[in-house]
Amino acid sequence: MNTQRLYGFVVVAVLAVALMVQPVMAKQFTVGGRTLNLFGYLTQGVAFSMHDDDYYDTEKGLQAALFNLHLEGDYTFTDDLKFYGAGMLSVDWVYDMKHDDRSWNDKLFTDSRDNLYIDDEYWQLLKEAHFTWTPSDFMFRVGKQIVAWGETDGFRLMDQINPLDQRRGMADVEFETSIIPIWLVRAEYFPEISTSWLQDLGFEFIFNPNADFIANQGIALGNDVGGIWAPNVMIPLAPGLDAHMGSADMAIKEPDTWDSDGYEYGFRIKAVIKDAFITLNYFDGLDNDPVLKMAAAPPGIGMASDGMMIIHPKMEGYYPDFRVAGATFSRGITPLRASFLGDVAPVLRLEAFYGFDNTFATSLNTFEKSDEFRWAIGIDWKVKIPWLNPRAYFSISPQFYHRKILDYPSGYEFSNLEDDNYMTTLMINTSYFHNKLVPLFFWMSDLTNDADMYKLQLTYDYSNVWHYTLGALILNGEEPGKSFHVFENKDYLYFKISYKWG
Amino acid sequence: MQKVKIFGMCLLVFFLALALMTPAVWAAEEYKVTVMDLREHKGLFDDPRPYLKTLSYKKILPPEVYARLTYDVEAMKKLWAEIVGFRALDVVGKIAPEIKPGTYTYKDKERYPELKELMTQDYYKRFNPGAPPFAGNFPEIKIVPTRQYYYALPIAEATKKNMGKTKLDDKGLIREETYMAGHPFPRPSGKFKANQIIYNWLKRYWGWDSQYLIQDSKGFAGSLREDNSQTAEGWMVRFKGRLTIEPYGWFDERAQNLGEDRIFNYKFLGPRDMFGNVITSLKYLGADKFDRMMLYVNVLRRVRVMSATDLQDVVGGADTIYADSEIFSQKLSATQFPYKCEVIAEREYLLPVTPLDGSGYMSSKGLELRDYEWERRPVYVVKMTQLDKNFVYSKRILYIDKETFMLHFVENYDQKGRLYRTSESISSFIPEMGMFIYGDNLCRDHVDKHSSWVRTFFTPAPWINRKHISVRGLFVKGK
Repeated sequence: MNTQRLYGFVVVAVLAVALMVQPVMAKQFTVGGRTLNLFGYLTQGVAFSMHDDDYYDTEKGLQAALFNLHLEGDYTFTDDLKFYGAGMLSVDWVYDMKHDDRSWNDKLFTDSRDNLYIDDEYWQLLKEAHFTWTPSDFMFRVGKQIVAWGETDGFRLMDQINPLDQRRGMADVEFETSIIPIWLVRAEYFPEISTSWLQDLGFEFIFNPNADFIANQGIALGNDVGGIWAPNVMIPLAPGLDAHMGSADMAIKEPDTWDSDGYEYGFRIKAVIKDAFITLNYFDGLDNDPVLKMAAAPPGIGMASDGMMIIHPKMEGYYPDFRVAGATFSRGITPLRASFLGDVAPVLRLEAFYGFDNTFATSLNTFEKSDEFRWAIGIDWKVKIPWLNPRAYFSISPQFYHRKILDYPSGYEFSNLEDDNYMTTLMINTSYFHNKLVPLFFWMSDLTNDADMYKLQLTYDYSNVWHYTLGALILNGEEPGKSFHVFENKDYLYFKISYKWG
Repeated sequence: MQKVKIFGMCLLVFFLALALMTPAVWAAEEYKVTVMDLREHKGLFDDPRPYLKTLSYKKILPPEVYARLTYDVEAMKKLWAEIVGFRALDVVGKIAPEIKPGTYTYKDKERYPELKELMTQDYYKRFNPGAPPFAGNFPEIKIVPTRQYYYALPIAEATKKNMGKTKLDDKGLIREETYMAGHPFPRPSGKFKANQIIYNWLKRYWGWDSQYLIQDSKGFAGSLREDNSQTAEGWMVRFKGRLTIEPYGWFDERAQNLGEDRIFNYKFLGPRDMFGNVITSLKYLGADKFDRMMLYVNVLRRVRVMSATDLQDVVGGADTIYADSEIFSQKLSATQFPYKCEVIAEREYLLPVTPLDGSGYMSSKGLELRDYEWERRPVYVVKMTQLDKNFVYSKRILYIDKETFMLHFVENYDQKGRLYRTSESISSFIPEMGMFIYGDNLCRDHVDKHSSWVRTFFTPAPWINRKHISVRGLFVKGK
């Protein structure tokens, strides 16, 4: 990213912000007799390490200073035709602020600038752009969009269509910064129903023509690529001698643009039956994550500032076929309401799929196929705990997830997976002072690998436009090199200011 | 894989072809008033323009629709007076007769102490210049002669036709199979008089059987600083007892089979975080049949089932709970938070009404109500004592108009007996249509010291069908 381009982005960002806060930039305009809605937000966050010790995979003090500018708008041409567009500019100022910082440079974080300083790929700047046409009982949506299936939060089961951007880890990210909209064609049909048991029905068809293959943007290995979120993976070379796993030289085969090998299809039936929301789902496409194995070529070697070696592996892989059929169910369980708890019935969410011949990397450095079964159950329950909050309810949402690999081998392993893999999450939040102050607790536990993530957050909504967030993220794990253990040194505090208009 | 691809393409083509071949009765023209339209005619503050004249239904609606929804005013007046047995203007004037129509300022409270008897305690206290902690004070009132209000001819005719047919059970709960249409108890009486009055409200005709609505609202902290702003649009359908918009009677066979009462789909247009959230709330007939609520969550791009038993929590940022949508809409039930209902007073009160031209407004300075008209109205004061100590309220006091069964004001008290929330409706009335529309609404949280000011505009919408109010509506309207 050259200086001119940087200044260009900064000028655009400042101009957009300045214009948006002017009274003339009302959130709604009338154009051609129709309403144009314009919204946006900008956020500026900072993150500080909670560790005093000088670990190689983290930075003491300030670690991130992420700025996001999000603009969106929609325009309705007719009652049946509308357009929605959204753009995002993300800049992590820490790369400027720490440009001359010795530790930042010694630990090679500065080399991750290309990956994490400014998100300037077109598909990062242009988030969504789609037309929606709704004639009669149909809906057609064409363009760059998000299609979200499933009922679970925090881990993805049925929700496999859009890739995720997790380069910045489990930070305090907005939804708009983590889901990657892609070019899709979506067609839905909602027939009229008049039965006593089936209340609503819809058929949904998704087609990804592979206009631009975008995969999950995961947390990269190596400080020089993954930045502050690069996992701390140690490679035992000899007794008492470990090396850092550094950035990998990746040769990943991906389908060419418009190549039919990259086509994806999804089909879903949605129904409301006796007040339960039920879906049947089928997806046939590509896994958004590649399968990887070590390439034949020897790894690169470097030296870290802590005196240990860095191994730069050479890896190769591809995006395998991913085909699943599943179902979801959601309904309020009214018999479980209890007056002394506030009389709100819990809502049950169930989700499951069967994966056909999915591909896994093995510890033998090969690829193998196996069927798999994933399912999850979640509850959303609002309860009253007057002595903690006399005015508002607590929302409590636990989830349990199980992933079963059906043809798990014996004698060797699938990478990072057991034959049975279990996770749970728990989210609790409430509000005080008339919804102004919202404390939130989130816990994710990887039961298989004995690892946990905790997030504690407090949000203050001063007004409709100004919002403040303070939080902490804590990670730990017991199995070296697995799950959250590789992020153990990354506990941090964060603070964010948001300005939202529209 | 190849075959799947071909099949997939064919499916897509099929859907497209089907859509194109569908007869061109896609939808009747969706005429509506948008938030922008409303703001062009009437700002939320400091705007005394008579928007009900400049944005009249005669101008909004296609002529044939307007013609179908207007009736002979004298015929409506005569019939409604016959049904309820009186006209409001004939039964008021007994309390504080010295207070005549005219303009009074808060300084006149000393000169006319009778005003204290004629106003509710809350209104008398607010008869002052605007000041923290609440919006809605008024330094001046303009008392006008009491009007007779009435309902559209089809509503009045159905009320008359079905008078005496609707029954309550031995617990005072409505037997839905006996209710057909209209106001069920136009002359409440007997052991369950209070219940009858409440059912007249619960079965209200507030707007039309199918209507599109827009809503513009602001919230204020105790310092009167604006801390909340929301706009929304919605689609509402009454399933049973339809009288003004076809189909009459039941909306469709499905509604009858499933016992559906009403539904609304409500889409947030602002603020930014709420834009694209869509709620659908389906109310069933039957005291103990739980409603259904679903929400399209914009940040998840998904539909989530909500617990319709979530009656008591606050609707995000507002000064009202879910049970108090449209001021008060909690079903009477013997099992879920039952009430003991009693009429504690039948008397006249001086209450605000929206001028027929819609010129009333709120000032930005002090958040004062200005230019509304005040009428003596005959009122039932109904006390609802909550029998379950776990409910957020210990009691409610409802002020329901005797002539129209419109709910003017609700006081809600917490379990400690403190005034917790109040909600008042300053409805607008359309004389040639015999119809009340939402108008302006003030909600206050007396414990958290917070106020909300809401303006809602209804447009009768024969063009609404199932596709607007079903789950399809969630996916189509959602972000």
